[in-house]
Amino acid sequence: MRAAYILRRLLYSAAAFGISVTIAFALLHFMPGDYITQYLEQIYVIAPPEIVRAYNRVYGLDRPLIEQYFSYFLGVLQGDWGYSLSYSRPVLAVIGEKLVWTLVIILPATVLAIIVGIVVGAYSGWKRGSKIDLALLNGMIFLRAIPSYWLALMILLIFAYYLGLFPLGGYVGLSALDTGIDPLDVMNHAALPIFTLFLFSVTGTYYLMRNSMLMTAGEDYIVTARAKGLDELTILRKHALRNAMLPMVTSIALECAGMITGSIFVETIFSWPGLGMLTFEALKVRDIPLLQGILLIDTLLVIVANIAADLIYPLVDPRVEVGDGART
Amino acid sequence: MTTEEPLLEVRGLTVGFPTVDGLVKAANTVDLEIRPGETLALLGETGSGKTVLGMAILRLLQPNTRIEGEILYRGRNLLSLSEGEMQKIRGREIAVVLQNTGTSLNPVLRVGDQIAEAVTLHRGLRGGDAEAAAVTLLDRVRIFDPARMAREYPHRFSGGMRERALIALALACEPSFLIADEPTRGLDAVTKREILDLFSEINPGRSVLFITHDIEAAATLAVRVAVMYAGEIVEIGPVDAVLSSPVHPYTRGLLASLPERGMRPIPGSSPSLITLPPGCRFSPRCTRAVGRCKKEHPELVEVGPDHDARCMYYD
Amino acid sequence: MPGRSVSFYISLGVVFVYCAVALFAPAIAPFDPFAISGSPLAPPDAAHILGTNDLAQDIFSRLVWGTRATLILGFLGAAISVALGTFGGIVSGYYGGRVDEAIMRFLDVMMTIPSFPLLLILTIFFRPGIYMTAVLMGFLGGLQGVRIIRSQVLSLAVADFVVGTKALGAGDGYIMARHILPNVLPLVGVKFIFSAQHFMVVGIGLGFLGMGDPAVVDWGQMIQRATQNGGIILGLWWWLIPPGLAVTFLSLALAWFGYAFEDRINPRLQVMRV
Repeated sequence: MRAAYILRRLLYSAAAFGISVTIAFALLHFMPGDYITQYLEQIYVIAPPEIVRAYNRVYGLDRPLIEQYFSYFLGVLQGDWGYSLSYSRPVLAVIGEKLVWTLVIILPATVLAIIVGIVVGAYSGWKRGSKIDLALLNGMIFLRAIPSYWLALMILLIFAYYLGLFPLGGYVGLSALDTGIDPLDVMNHAALPIFTLFLFSVTGTYYLMRNSMLMTAGEDYIVTARAKGLDELTILRKHALRNAMLPMVTSIALECAGMITGSIFVETIFSWPGLGMLTFEALKVRDIPLLQGILLIDTLLVIVANIAADLIYPLVDPRVEVGDGART
Repeated sequence: MTTEEPLLEVRGLTVGFPTVDGLVKAANTVDLEIRPGETLALLGETGSGKTVLGMAILRLLQPNTRIEGEILYRGRNLLSLSEGEMQKIRGREIAVVLQNTGTSLNPVLRVGDQIAEAVTLHRGLRGGDAEAAAVTLLDRVRIFDPARMAREYPHRFSGGMRERALIALALACEPSFLIADEPTRGLDAVTKREILDLFSEINPGRSVLFITHDIEAAATLAVRVAVMYAGEIVEIGPVDAVLSSPVHPYTRGLLASLPERGMRPIPGSSPSLITLPPGCRFSPRCTRAVGRCKKEHPELVEVGPDHDARCMYYD
Repeated sequence: MPGRSVSFYISLGVVFVYCAVALFAPAIAPFDPFAISGSPLAPPDAAHILGTNDLAQDIFSRLVWGTRATLILGFLGAAISVALGTFGGIVSGYYGGRVDEAIMRFLDVMMTIPSFPLLLILTIFFRPGIYMTAVLMGFLGGLQGVRIIRSQVLSLAVADFVVGTKALGAGDGYIMARHILPNVLPLVGVKFIFSAQHFMVVGIGLGFLGMGDPAVVDWGQMIQRATQNGGIILGLWWWLIPPGLAVTFLSLALAWFGYAFEDRINPRLQVMRV
């Protein structure tokens, strides 16, 4: 039953989110040496006791642990994700602002990687064993083995520093101070981060698509199509491609977690002011409430991607009917 | 017996599949002819090479397959045609009903569209005309409510209906030669009977290569029967002669294994197609084998009118 | 694929060279990796073949010493990950039923939490340290490995030789250790190589994000210093490039080795893939 399946997936998602919240809480409260003291130590050499007390009261650390847990849990559900130490603002507000900038580079990179990965992977799998397939396969294996931070650094050095084609980092030029944010200027700054994330992600899509195409190419209905007298390109386009893409829907959702990882490195190298660089900065100053929030938002992003995949799947595979028993 | 030119003639066809364990010799110097309008049943058990033979005619085997010999269709050697020329023959001149009905229709395309695709390709009909032709074809293979079923996806079809849909697809361009690969496999007795009736109804004047392991089905439809064993034709002749007075020990064994004839299975199992026994390939399982059978490879020789067998006893 | 056997030996050779450098680091490195050894940000010359960083430390010496951290992160992490994945996969696949159900549901939930951000947070919790990082990466990676081993074990658990041994009265522990384990070992070997490659890249990434062990030289922290302290603006290639190049080269060698090894133990796979 499709409906039961989706219900079960929602249950897992809820459980995963609950575990994330619990981990976030545990991190905050069982950390050796409490985080308020740790944070204040970075500001004061010896923190004045009244300031420590005041912080503890504001962050609720003077109450019993179990009470803190439930109030944190309830707070998270109500949109109160705590208070960032370094930004002195609500965590959710900071994250919301940065999330937009991350989406600006992640979405185009993902779309591009999916399209290119599917097309090239499909061709490679269809022509398996040919010279071009082997060249593509080895090239992708090569690209995949390069660490994302190194890839980002090299792209920055080559295209921005040596060739001077793009800015060295950030999201707007200095002129933005006078003229405000110009979308063209932002795109110019976003180009290299998007390109790097695309390279980082395309290998995975390619690999999955090639494998899926290898399986599809051996199916009986491909022989049927060939026996009809169709030419190879039509068979690939009309009969193989769509079937080979079916398993991709779920796999691409899984790649979403990889994109989050990739964006942490890429944004840090390119000084792109999104969630990834926020993670880097929060790590640097040990802003624990902010890091908790980042773990929660990352988990939510993965959950959303999974739910989207579950909803899209029935649209591409007629064998699965929403709210109806899948017949085989 | 007829003196007409055969429609299709297979000469010395040898097919091998390279694998990690060695070359699988799936068919060995097969000679076969199919005459205009006749149904020839190709009888044999799984792994005897009968499907490979059917697929080789349409050149639908994997690209790394080694094929030797000639397949003459209306005098043209199919093995030397270009891929483009071959595409014009597939579906239009020679059509096939594949053996795995469950997986031979594309799961993400509507059945009607899959049939209409062939109609458009070879008959030039487009859009609504091609769809209408598909509905007519589904009706011809006795699919109930064809207009509605044409819009359904294959997973909505039962096994028997999928078989019918595949037959409709094969008939889309009225091919002059039809290869049917185990069309009755996996069907219950009633459905099997219906499919066999359908075959005798749709094929007047058409040449058919009916690949099967079902002797009863072969007896119902065929004019002539060829029996395959381990990649070779061991006996071929008119259906009455072969089934009522079989010559080759393997054919006799097959008939003796039928339920109504005592259900005595042939002892042993088919040889590996990688390391074939020297001499007669059936000799390890043959109760009548003598020393010569294990050393010399018998040729196909005439044993009666239009009736050949590959056995030392008739050499 | 032709040349796979050649790439097998070449990539294995490269990995050995890295191991040798790690082993003989004190002999190879001309300077103490932490010591001030000249003027800061000096370009390469005869004494400092890769120049110096902003703290006037010799980059080549740091690079050589950093090999140790990389190999520990990769191989220790992979060992833990593979051990956990193999154990969990065999138990889950062999016992099946409720045990399997419980393990699989637990993994379903855990897989929804993105593992890298989780790793970052756990690293902060347990305090950055090279061995702790390896253990954490190994643990999180092992969770993902369970599924792969399990799917192999599922078919083995009903194989004739296992059922036969069970019929002879053999205990579960004996069957898992003597009959199941040897059959999944080739897969475990492949997994080990790819895990080691992955953990080296991730472990150095952690160092780059400031989650490195301050008492240890690692390539990630070297990249961090170079990118965050002006290396990019000034375009100091000798500072920026060597640590990343070193990990990239090692990662490539391990990936090649993994694929070549996979083909070697399973020639059928090669036929299928190509």
